[in-house]
Amino acid sequence: MNSHAIHGIVFAICAAAAPVATAHETDEGEGRLGKVAFQNSCNPRVQEQLLRGVAMLHSFWYSEGEKTFRAVLAQDPSCSIATWGIASLLMSNPLAGQGASPKGAEMAQALITLGRQTPSRTQRERDYLEAVAAYYEDWANRPERARQQARAKAYEALAERYRGDDEAQIFSALYIAGTQAAGDQSYSAYLKAVAILEPQFAKHPDHPGVAHYLIHSYDAPPIADKGLTAARRYAGIAPAAPHALHMPSHIFTRVGAWEESAAANARSAAVAVKGDEPDEAYHASDYMAYAYLQMARDEEARRAIAAVQSVTGITPSRSAAPYAIALMPARYAVERGAWKEAMQLQPQSSVLYFPEASTYFARGLGAVHSGDLAEAQNNADALAAIHKRLLEAKNAYWAGEVEVQRFALAAWLALAGGKQDDALKLMRAAADNEDRSEKNIVTPGRLVPARELLGEMLLEVKQPALALVEFEASQQREPNRFRGFYGAARAADGAGDRAKAAAYYRQMLALASKGDGTRPELVQAKAYLARP
Amino acid sequence: MAVRCALCGLALAAALAAGTARAEPYEVNPDAAARDPDYAAGKAAMERKDWPQAVLRFEKAATGDPQNPDLQNYLGYSLRNLKQFEAALRHYQQALLLDPRHRGAHEYIGETYLLLGDLARAERHLTALREICLLSCEELEDLARAVAAFRAQRSTVQP
Repeated sequence: MNSHAIHGIVFAICAAAAPVATAHETDEGEGRLGKVAFQNSCNPRVQEQLLRGVAMLHSFWYSEGEKTFRAVLAQDPSCSIATWGIASLLMSNPLAGQGASPKGAEMAQALITLGRQTPSRTQRERDYLEAVAAYYEDWANRPERARQQARAKAYEALAERYRGDDEAQIFSALYIAGTQAAGDQSYSAYLKAVAILEPQFAKHPDHPGVAHYLIHSYDAPPIADKGLTAARRYAGIAPAAPHALHMPSHIFTRVGAWEESAAANARSAAVAVKGDEPDEAYHASDYMAYAYLQMARDEEARRAIAAVQSVTGITPSRSAAPYAIALMPARYAVERGAWKEAMQLQPQSSVLYFPEASTYFARGLGAVHSGDLAEAQNNADALAAIHKRLLEAKNAYWAGEVEVQRFALAAWLALAGGKQDDALKLMRAAADNEDRSEKNIVTPGRLVPARELLGEMLLEVKQPALALVEFEASQQREPNRFRGFYGAARAADGAGDRAKAAAYYRQMLALASKGDGTRPELVQAKAYLARP
Repeated sequence: MAVRCALCGLALAAALAAGTARAEPYEVNPDAAARDPDYAAGKAAMERKDWPQAVLRFEKAATGDPQNPDLQNYLGYSLRNLKQFEAALRHYQQALLLDPRHRGAHEYIGETYLLLGDLARAERHLTALREICLLSCEELEDLARAVAAFRAQRSTVQP
């Protein structure tokens, strides 16, 4: 039995002149990408490929998607919707906030012109092309945020005009979710997208875009658990797409399901390496390493990091790879409390500035915990310079993230300098500022949650009851963290709540049940639990 | 008082220049201008120092987005440049009511108080900025410079 029979293709091709309606399990022996129905007027010969391209677009498979749409155009130059497909792919990840590259925008604008010159058979196809054109209009003179807003508005109008077109509804939900602001903790754009997507999910349980966009739309602490169904289904819908294999881990990370996250990202990284998708490979590996570190599977984390470090060909202007390159070794040191190792991290300059900030932050924390205050101050100065550069580059979000790191490092420096009140004030400000914003989707988590650091500082200054409050608050936003449980256990013990301390130690040990067993925290937990 | 304030205003001109020239003032919601053509037009007018047009467009934008502290701050700033200080103060105060941690509004209202000769009120906002910025920040540095310039000027005119 071939794969078509297994997946039950429902594929009807009408006469070439008439619009073609298809519901297609996109698997031509090249791997499943889910079931997509996209009405179009292109030649019946290109239907299989065209739908595969749309499915790739839904799973953000940029390089393969572009090749696929170009192959469609080569066979059917009148297939103007293929130009829409390429222009859509060139916008890159609509949730990441970076958007098209200048070269990509130029290419997309040329394709849109080509598409406009191609006599489309349907008004609907012309309208799809104009919807994507709204993003590229006056591209060079508008900030990404304005382009995102214009795109969402255009797709909302498209969805309104073609209410019976589920693809229009699904794409409009994606681009609405793409307008979610990091500081909006009512998650209004995400929830607006969810309201569109949930009924579509019931209707199209095997659609790659619906499951994928639901995961993105639930990617926030208080609503993440609602995304588990989509997360658990998506990888099975489109197992051929590296991003589809990775995406469920956004939800797994939010809810602290580390085993599932590590497994998903191991698959994603392997497929990405095989498919020559270096950015995707680094992104998945960062999430994978983060998950392994939470389970104290340090050797597996080390191997995951080492494996991807040999991958070349990254896109330096896109955040995924440079961020992972900076964060993975920093996480590996900080999560294990390997402060001397953290001090030795080598910052790698990037055109984005913010990735290397985490290297300096880790180095600074390492230095201050190792008693080298001069070196810690050097790293604090480096953070200040990066912060200034980000402000000058009008990158308000990452400037805010780096300011949190500045506050935190300054706090630990103040504590080391005997200024306890200043230290706590700075550390609390760092935690409060961090909580006012959301993590970017490029990262499974900040290098270390600022509120967790506040808990650690309160432990240092012998205020365990207050420390416990902070550790427990941190767990609300970033659950199931090894260091979070460890800190909470110590704090509870210090506050005289032995039962709670034991419960947290047990949770930490359960988390590390498949771990290497090398961390001193594990020895401490076992000894504590063994005490009568 | 009137003479002293006139001198204070002169002395402050240089100190405030840095704030005036800043390309990217502090914004709580940097995305809002992307959604509203009036907001964007107000910012463009502000860039070319067309203060009446800036006020007009920011007022329109603020009608549609009355909870936006950035808009109130920009309104205050544009009115200050039109020397409508009382109106400017009202908008800065509104900005701070909406966001007590608004760095730009603290700086600009402090500078406006200096232009009016009210050092005590300006210093309150300097203190607020110290609490908010904790480490150095541009708004704190600018207001600190303006306060220092005001003090220096006052010491030279006082017997």
